Amino acid sequence: MKKSLLTVLAIVMIAPAFVFAQGDKEEAYNVGFIGPMTGDYANYGILCNNSAVLAVEKFNEAGGINGTPVTLITEDSEGTIEKASSSIEKLSSTDNILALVGPIFTGSTFSVADRCQNEGIPLITPSATHADITKTGDMIFRTVVSDGLQGEVAGHYFYEVLGHRKLAVLYAKNDYSQGLYESMSATFESLGGEIVAAETCLVGDKDFKTQLTKIKAAQPDAIYIPNYTVEMAQILEQAAQLSVGAPFVSCDGFSNPEIYNLAGAYTDGVVYVGPAKVEASDAFNEFAEEYKSVYGIEPDSFAINAYDGANIILNAIKTAAADGKATRQEVRDAIAATKDYEGVGGIINFAENGDLVAYQGVYKVNGTTPEYLGAFQVVNGKLVKVD
Amino acid sequence: MGSLSEFFQHFVNGLTLGGVYALIALGYTMVYGILKFINFAHGDVLMVGAYIGLFVFDALRGSAPLGAWTFIAFFLAMLISMVLTAALGVVIERVAYKPLRKASRLAPLLSAIGVSFILSNSAAWAWGTQSRKLNYPFDNTPFEIGGVVITPHQVLVLVVSILMMVALKVFVDRSRMGKAMRATSLDQDTARLMGINVNVVISLTFAIGSALAAAGGMLIALDFKAYPTMGMMLGLKAFVAAVVGGIGNIGGAMLGGITLGLLETFGVAVFGIPQAMKDTISFAVLIIVLLVRPQGLLGKVVREKV
Repeated sequence: MKKSLLTVLAIVMIAPAFVFAQGDKEEAYNVGFIGPMTGDYANYGILCNNSAVLAVEKFNEAGGINGTPVTLITEDSEGTIEKASSSIEKLSSTDNILALVGPIFTGSTFSVADRCQNEGIPLITPSATHADITKTGDMIFRTVVSDGLQGEVAGHYFYEVLGHRKLAVLYAKNDYSQGLYESMSATFESLGGEIVAAETCLVGDKDFKTQLTKIKAAQPDAIYIPNYTVEMAQILEQAAQLSVGAPFVSCDGFSNPEIYNLAGAYTDGVVYVGPAKVEASDAFNEFAEEYKSVYGIEPDSFAINAYDGANIILNAIKTAAADGKATRQEVRDAIAATKDYEGVGGIINFAENGDLVAYQGVYKVNGTTPEYLGAFQVVNGKLVKVD
Repeated sequence: MGSLSEFFQHFVNGLTLGGVYALIALGYTMVYGILKFINFAHGDVLMVGAYIGLFVFDALRGSAPLGAWTFIAFFLAMLISMVLTAALGVVIERVAYKPLRKASRLAPLLSAIGVSFILSNSAAWAWGTQSRKLNYPFDNTPFEIGGVVITPHQVLVLVVSILMMVALKVFVDRSRMGKAMRATSLDQDTARLMGINVNVVISLTFAIGSALAAAGGMLIALDFKAYPTMGMMLGLKAFVAAVVGGIGNIGGAMLGGITLGLLETFGVAVFGIPQAMKDTISFAVLIIVLLVRPQGLLGKVVREKV
């Protein structure tokens, strides 16, 4: 009894010393990855994990951090919030990670982001698009375009370039349409614009005359219709029948060419915000080829984002470890300081809130042909045209 | 709600919507009046009518520009569609309902639901699920009367529905065949004893109801486009209109349709019911009418004979 108690005491006293000794001897650089690696959603997680593994391998081949390799620790979330939460506990305490790539899904990302923010672990998600993800705090970043961005560019463009002051909105009751309405109107109102009518519909509705009559009475400068093609075609036609008069502005849903079959000449003059035209760079081709030769499969857009995200984290650790020791806060600051990083998916900058600074294209329909007016982004609350 | 002109604008919108509901409701109410059975395939018959009209109109029109010919072609297409759809209605009755005439009342109802699925799925298979545009046969540029904007299409809907409803009313009230229909609806067995060919009367009822549905379908397809499931919600609404007006009563179907169209429009515009709840209005009205006045607005209370 006495003897065993002594042993336990001895272990308890000595153990920390070992840990400390280890820490003193060599700095361990651990990066975590959380994503669905098994189960129904494994395809998303595996593609992104491949990218992170590839990025770390190449980084270590190139010398790592002053000769010390970085270790990537992958945890399987199975696509569930519960598993993702226990994964971050393990990565945070046992593995003592400096930064995290992932999680993949919006739901898991919300819960993991909370934990990361509390623990002070910087996180970069390659795929969670919900506008509110980065609101969790200053530790949270993403290399995927936020749903909120399109609405933000739209709000600025409508106010600053088109000169609209009073907008009406006719949106559908679903996450996509409502999300665009909310982010666009928040921006538009913060600039001083006014939403004079916000009418709703359901996906599949055919009759919009009641809403359009109310909108007409509100006398807006323009009408924003963030919807799908069939509804937008119907809205455009019925607006003409009611002599609504105000011009229409729209969203990326308008970039589907089916709209011109359904709405024909009614599309003339519509201005919409959608994906910017991107040209494939050499860096991208090189990455895609290497990815395919290693894994035998093409990277999807999230995998591209994951590769860039992992590389930004690795570079940040390198910067932070310049003095021989990296802390999570230093890594976070280095990530935030990322400027014009040439990723495989394009130039990457982070906005103050951690969102990817990305471009949105603006188009104007002339007859039934969309004309590209250029790519735009919002920098420090100002709309900037990208050349 | 704002100005008086906005009020009248909603009124015009509601009236045209109601006119179409009324036209379709007639089909439900006539069949119910005679067979005491709800033809749930009626909405899908309407869909087929809309497609036939669309194809015939496109074929007749060719690449002709808008003008007198397109206008005539439209009515020719409507006529052809009404005839073909009437034939379809008669065939459906012969194949799916007539063998079940002596069965329990649930059997033809289930058969009707089956026919409804067959029609909409066949349409999706044959013509695809995407919306198809039935082009306006005239320049649909709206005109304005005292701040209220009216399209030629709305005028067409109102004129065609009113003409057809009046014609039907006159036919049922004045003609010999109409008399036979009324007799059959009162008492089938006695009508048969009086020398009325009940089978012909029933076929005629389905033919007329389906022809009206075809016309209604085309009027709707002009505005809302044609697609395989277009009959579902329209059929339900028209059914509600028929019940609200008093099922089995032709005048009631008209009144019910117009009432429903106006209630839906004003419910959203004036009473601030969310647009997403618009369809709920019709069904809420149905429940209220069934609770308060089960025979419908114009229905007569029929006492069960002991």
